[in-house]
Amino acid sequence: MPPSLRLNAVAFISPQNHPILIRTFSPQDDPIKYHYIAHTSLDVIEERVTSAGKSVECYLGLLYSMEDVAIYGYITPLRVKIVLALALSDAVVKDVEVTMIFKALHMAYYSAICNPFLKLEAANDTSSDISPFLLVGSPKWRKFRQRVDEISRVAGNATATTSAT
Amino acid sequence: MSSRTSLQVSPAPSGSSNALVPPNLALLADPPVRQMDGPAMDYFVIEMVNTLRESAAVATARSKRIEQEMIEAGLIPPPAPAPPALPLKKESARDSVTSLPSRTGSAAGKTVVDEEEEAVRVRLETIGMHVGANFTERLCRDRPLFSETLDAIKFICKDIWAACWDKQVDNLRTNHRGVYVLQDNAFKPIARISSWEGRAEAIKRAKLYAAMPGGIIRGALSRMGFNGTVTPEITSLPQCTFQIKLPKGA
Repeated sequence: MPPSLRLNAVAFISPQNHPILIRTFSPQDDPIKYHYIAHTSLDVIEERVTSAGKSVECYLGLLYSMEDVAIYGYITPLRVKIVLALALSDAVVKDVEVTMIFKALHMAYYSAICNPFLKLEAANDTSSDISPFLLVGSPKWRKFRQRVDEISRVAGNATATTSAT
Repeated sequence: MSSRTSLQVSPAPSGSSNALVPPNLALLADPPVRQMDGPAMDYFVIEMVNTLRESAAVATARSKRIEQEMIEAGLIPPPAPAPPALPLKKESARDSVTSLPSRTGSAAGKTVVDEEEEAVRVRLETIGMHVGANFTERLCRDRPLFSETLDAIKFICKDIWAACWDKQVDNLRTNHRGVYVLQDNAFKPIARISSWEGRAEAIKRAKLYAAMPGGIIRGALSRMGFNGTVTPEITSLPQCTFQIKLPKGA
C-alpha cells in the first residue's frame, strides 16, 4: 500500500519572519520553489492570526494549495511558524495526523534551540534573535536536520506500520 | 525524598487512544516526560551561586591583570592615581569614570566587592535567561496564542512560577503603562536563608539568590517578544517582589 502522506518540504520561520530552516524531501523539485511557498505562507498566516482576534489555536490547518502541493501551517505561542508542504493525493488527510507531525516538528525545534552553546557569543543581547538562525547550515544545527529527516521518514511510513497495542 | 515533575506536561498518551496515528509519530510528537528529583534543583541553585562567585572573582582578576599589563605597555593611559589619604567617597566618584577594574590601593575594598557581586549577578542573570527562554518554549507547547501582554504576564505568574517553585504568584499589580509588580510572599529560593550576622545581612546576601529567578523571568519575556528589565527586590525575608518594566508600546 503506498504511504498516504508524502512530505515534500518543511519550513521553520522565526518570530521576526526570518527563515530558520527550509528542508525539502522531494528530489524532483527545485528547493527554491519551497522558499517561495514559505514566503507566501507568511502572508496567509499573518492574515489568519490578525483576523482571528482572541484565542487563536496553534494549528492553522490548510492554508492554501497550489498545483501539486497542499500547504499546512502552525504557529507556536512564541510566534515561530512551521509550514508543511504535502503532496496532493486522493487519500484523505487526517487532521490529527498533521497536528501530530507539527507537534513532533515543534519538539525537534525545541530540542535544537535549547542547546546553550548555540548562542555562546551573544551574551546579553536579547533583542537581536536572528544571529544564531543565520548559521543554520553550520554543524551545530546538524542534529536538528537529522530530527526533521526522521520525522519525515516516520510520517512517510504512516500506513506501513499498524498500531500494535 | 519526594519528587516533583520537572515539567508540567502530561506524559504521552497510551497507544490505544489514537489508533489512526502510528506509535512512532506519537512518540516523537509527545516524548515521555523525564522526571527529576525536586530538591536536587534547589541544592543545585544554592551551590551555583557560590561556585559562580569564585569563578567571577577569577575572571575579574584575570581582566585586571591584562589591563595592568596594557597600562604598563602604554597602550591605554594610566588611571588617575588615587591617593589613599582621600576619603572613600571621593575615590569612588573618580573611579566611576575610569575603566572597570583599574583601581589601586587598599581603600577601594568596598567598591571591589560590589563589582564582584555585580559580575556574579550578571552571570546568574544570563544563565537564568537561557533557562527561562527554553523553559517557556516547552511550557508553551499545548496552549493557544497569547492575546495580549497581560496574558503573557499572567502566564508567567501562573505556569512558570508553578513549574519552578511549586506555587503561584501572590499578588500582581500594574500601572497599565508597562510596569508590572509581581509579589511572592514566600519565595522558594530565599525561604530558608538565614545568617548568623542578623536579618539585614541575610537580606543583603539573599539578593544574589534572587538574581537567577529574575533572569528566568527576563528570558521568558524575551522569548515571548518583550524585551524588558526585571528587578528583584527583597525587603523582608521570605517575601520577594519582581518589578518588570516593558518598553513603550507593549
